Amino acid sequence: MLIPLSPLALSVYNRAAMRVRYLSLTNFRNYARLELALPERPLLLHGANAQGKTSLLEAIYLLATGSSPLTSLDRQLINWEAEAGGLPYARVWAEVVRRDRVQEVEVILEKKPLANGTTRLQKTIRIDRVRKRRADLAGRLNVVLFMPQDVDLIAGPPAGRRRYLDDTLCQVDRAYCTALEHYTEALRQRNAALRHLRDEGGDPAQLAPFEEVLAREGVVIANGRRELVAALSQRADRIHQQLTGGAEWLRLEYRPNFDPAAPPALKYQMGLGLQPYEGPPLGVGAEGLVAAFRQALLTRRADEIARGMTLIGPHRDELRFVAGSPAQGTHEVDLGTYGSRGQQRTAVLALKLAELAFLQARTGEAPVLLLDEVLAELDAARRRYLLSQVDRVEQAVLTATDPEMFSAEFRERAVLMEVRGGIVTEAAAG
Amino acid sequence: MQTAPASVTRLIEELAELPGIGRKTAARLTYFLLRDKSDLAGRLAEALRNLKERTRFCSVCYNVTEEDPCPICADPGRDHTIICVVEEPLDVLALEQAGVYKGVYHVLHGVLAPSEGMFVEDLRIGELVARVRGSDVEEVILATNPTSEGDWTASYLLTRLRPLGVRITRLGRGLPVGGDLEYADAVTLTRALEGREAI
Ligand SMILES: [Zn+2]
Repeated sequence: MLIPLSPLALSVYNRAAMRVRYLSLTNFRNYARLELALPERPLLLHGANAQGKTSLLEAIYLLATGSSPLTSLDRQLINWEAEAGGLPYARVWAEVVRRDRVQEVEVILEKKPLANGTTRLQKTIRIDRVRKRRADLAGRLNVVLFMPQDVDLIAGPPAGRRRYLDDTLCQVDRAYCTALEHYTEALRQRNAALRHLRDEGGDPAQLAPFEEVLAREGVVIANGRRELVAALSQRADRIHQQLTGGAEWLRLEYRPNFDPAAPPALKYQMGLGLQPYEGPPLGVGAEGLVAAFRQALLTRRADEIARGMTLIGPHRDELRFVAGSPAQGTHEVDLGTYGSRGQQRTAVLALKLAELAFLQARTGEAPVLLLDEVLAELDAARRRYLLSQVDRVEQAVLTATDPEMFSAEFRERAVLMEVRGGIVTEAAAG
Repeated sequence: MQTAPASVTRLIEELAELPGIGRKTAARLTYFLLRDKSDLAGRLAEALRNLKERTRFCSVCYNVTEEDPCPICADPGRDHTIICVVEEPLDVLALEQAGVYKGVYHVLHGVLAPSEGMFVEDLRIGELVARVRGSDVEEVILATNPTSEGDWTASYLLTRLRPLGVRITRLGRGLPVGGDLEYADAVTLTRALEGREAI
């Protein structure tokens, strides 16, 4: 259902506005039930740990990206008491206000019993009560979520960085998200076929239908990631320099696992095999890239059958964070390997703020800013810098165990609510 | 806990093996048969025995049949130069009910879906290639479902049939994406068949 706004109402939302106006949770983590009208002003959630502050941010993130920031096991999102009580489902529902429309966005997670006695988690996405795919979430609600554990993004396993790129792109790029879905499915099928061919033999040509999908969608994914990383890198560098008072620059490097666009020397450097590339001419547009990728998969078949898995493609891409200092000339450091915890923290703050600027530039509307307990980790100057961003977005939701961490001035203009045992109550001011 | 007699439990367990039948439904069906006074159980038992004893796969098209070759393959009035390749015997039924197709069929008995343990070796593909090679077949219609699995299967069939120099077509776009031939109505099937395109 699309609710048309009156001209009067429109004038209120004319300054590029995107916000969650209402949030409803059912059996979602700590929340048996939550009905919450979100205020116009910054919302500061406070309370002891494990009471549901983070879960509320997580719910909003889930609506924006279709996936949880915390766990690849989405089944843990379902409230375990509800599950024990025979209600194996969770529901997150929100009313999202955009410049020109109001939409209902909803994610339902259900545990479905399977014939073999195990369960499967079924995720249903609905927009204005109509069932949609994950790709349809793109452009509905955009958020930037910043949590203390995000610092692990820099030095943690590469899967986390790929997931970060995917979740960010899926918020705005429907074609990317569709390509990702198709790629992931084809990869699963091809790997199953590779194991079958290794263990029982058979016709290797049955890999071809999946290789076609991997090549086609893989090029879309690589292009999307390359553009995103370039856009983020430029913005993150500017912010990083501001945060360090010009003492350090930052560069994000996209390192595709298979890159038909790269010159052969680079490919060799990246350990992509010793044989020079022998496919079709490169740099001739998407079709040429698809053909090169298809050819690469074809020539590696024998090796990949022996290993029982697909070894090249975007599912093995890397993203690196490199920093240097003008004082040290050309010397540069990979922050994932050699960065100090403090450097990594600054870099991830710069990344998140770059993401905010990117989403705003891409959609013309500021994303909703979700800050989870991050102030405690930052020094006074960075705290001020981050909080100055809160004024630049239409909506911000922040959490803190101790609201005193925020200045009296900030608490004055924010709405304070206390979260205790999955219940949210508006506290008296102060 | 009191348990049912072994013969009751046995039938419940066997019925529950069927797709779409849970233990609860299986138990309900079992007790229905117990109460029934019209010897439904006896007729069902005979029908079940005949199902396997009297039927086999047609040695030409692999459809389910009581005579070999099947009535369609044996019919001189059908056009034997066109083969329509389908996933399941039920798809043949749906196309026959639509009543426009005059060629013959080839039933694959499944689709390519490695993650579910279905590989090309499990399908009647070698038989199809042998049937087309050196025959006077002029066209092969790939009528697998418009699903991911159906597309992968068609894509593989294409690589096997292409070298044989036969005209290969795919059902037209009229079918709903992700749908199933088996559930399409006659009008939709006719339109899809007439709108088939060479690939
Ligand atoms: Zn036959």
